[in-house]
Amino acid sequence: MADSHVIECTGLSKQYGSRQALDGLDLHVPKGSIFGFLGRNGAGKTTTIKILLGMVSPTGGSGRVFGLPVDNPASSVDIRRRTGFVSEEKDLYDGMSVAQLIDFTARCYPRWRRDLQEQYVRSFELPLDAGVKTLSRGTRTKLALLLAFCRGAELLVLDEPTSGLDPVVADEVLQQLVGHVAREDTTIFFSSHQLAEIDQIADRIGIVHRGRMMLAGVLDDLRQDFRRVQAVFEHDAPALTSSAPGIVRVRRQGRVLSVTANGNVDAIVAEAHGLGAVAVDVTAMPLKDMFLEIVAGEN
Amino acid sequence: MLWHKAWMDTRWRFLTGGLVLLLSAMGTVFSFQLVAGSALSIGAVPQDGGLVSQAIREAVDLSRTFRGFVWLNAFSQNLTQLGVLFAVLLGSGGLRTEAAGTLYTLSLPFSRGALMSTRAATGLLELVALTMLPPLAIVALAPAVGERYPVVEALVHGMCLFAGTAVFFSLTFWLSTLFSDPWRPGLIAFGVATVIGLCESLLFRSVAWGLFHVTSAESYFRGAGVPWLGLLVAGAASAALLQRAIAAVERQDY
Repeated sequence: MADSHVIECTGLSKQYGSRQALDGLDLHVPKGSIFGFLGRNGAGKTTTIKILLGMVSPTGGSGRVFGLPVDNPASSVDIRRRTGFVSEEKDLYDGMSVAQLIDFTARCYPRWRRDLQEQYVRSFELPLDAGVKTLSRGTRTKLALLLAFCRGAELLVLDEPTSGLDPVVADEVLQQLVGHVAREDTTIFFSSHQLAEIDQIADRIGIVHRGRMMLAGVLDDLRQDFRRVQAVFEHDAPALTSSAPGIVRVRRQGRVLSVTANGNVDAIVAEAHGLGAVAVDVTAMPLKDMFLEIVAGEN
Repeated sequence: MLWHKAWMDTRWRFLTGGLVLLLSAMGTVFSFQLVAGSALSIGAVPQDGGLVSQAIREAVDLSRTFRGFVWLNAFSQNLTQLGVLFAVLLGSGGLRTEAAGTLYTLSLPFSRGALMSTRAATGLLELVALTMLPPLAIVALAPAVGERYPVVEALVHGMCLFAGTAVFFSLTFWLSTLFSDPWRPGLIAFGVATVIGLCESLLFRSVAWGLFHVTSAESYFRGAGVPWLGLLVAGAASAALLQRAIAAVERQDY
């Protein structure tokens, strides 16, 4: 593996019967990053995560975590030993108490961090004697995070970590995630369809749609490069003839030609002027608009 | 840790089974004098050659001795039927049918082979306890009704009971890898047990290697020795079913 990448997938595919869940997904997650894996419901986020952790076998392509192949059972055990995972359903053992589940999990991981355990039990205010089954959604999520954090994991894989949480608890969880990365040498790969939370904590993003990676990169760079160019013409807007790289989507509506671009904005502005635009306006795009443009463009 | 988890998952089924089987064994021992007294007071049963009267005649004859009464009531009926019931219950609830925690289990640093082997081994050890304790309880309780029951005989019956019920444990264990609900594997296993039981009692009464024939150790009781061939066949069937279950789970998507 390239030393700098914890996760590397190339052309990853998964077919369930006639349904193509992943369709040649490319994914590269650098070490130490907080990678937000963004996509609509059913886009392929959970399938990707399950493949990375050896719960699902890919039907094509290759995937590596820590340089180890994800489809090799022995390597997969090693990957899971070094990875903390929180599932979307916060799937835990309902028959155990909080203390029993923590103790059980601690015994499975030789690098278990007792110091972090005590710290998070306090800060999350976890009721140790309570049955896991009786926990609220928020407390259950906090317990799942504790169990992932304390494994001494080099990689945290979180599938929709804040789903079903109220905004206060969701924000608390996100702050804990950021705090954990700041203190520990950990990479976080988390999936979500909550654009605001990805915007809040991720430094890199990948947008997956229909099983394919549509856009990936450093979030600040994408914010810098992604622009909406709106050109107003005297009469009906002409068609844009340019095949300039970076054009994501072009729309014509009466006198207005609207172009969504990922870089190469100057060339697009120049072409709009060349076509006789009377006014050209370039605006930055928030993550939400980037996502909607990419997903809507594909649809 | 996997042993602990497997034990936590099955302990109530095991403890309930242990209690029920022990109560059944105790019931057999303490009802002997009452039933034996009645059997002795019954005169000769008419020998009309019918299946029913033949069965009644044999039951009355067997009930005249403690050894015969224990075999008839415990090993050929109650313990066999209850043993199959709890073997099926212990075998159900595989990775797919876990009510909660399947993904959590799969995220732990253990291979699926290790997860399944530990579950199978735990279930089989529990089944050993369930099938060996009642015969030994009969040995221990027999003096309380003025009788004796040989330890070796109890151990042989326990071994046969284990080998026979282990087939149904393994069958359910394998079926649990094919269905995502906890009910169908158990129901199918009970259906298979019923069909085998009916076939053996109606069509193949004298087949020495029949599964229930082996489970009840009938040939041993009648003096023909330990049914080694039947034990071997039952053991091989169990091993094959468990191996299939482990192989199935290693290929599955969750």
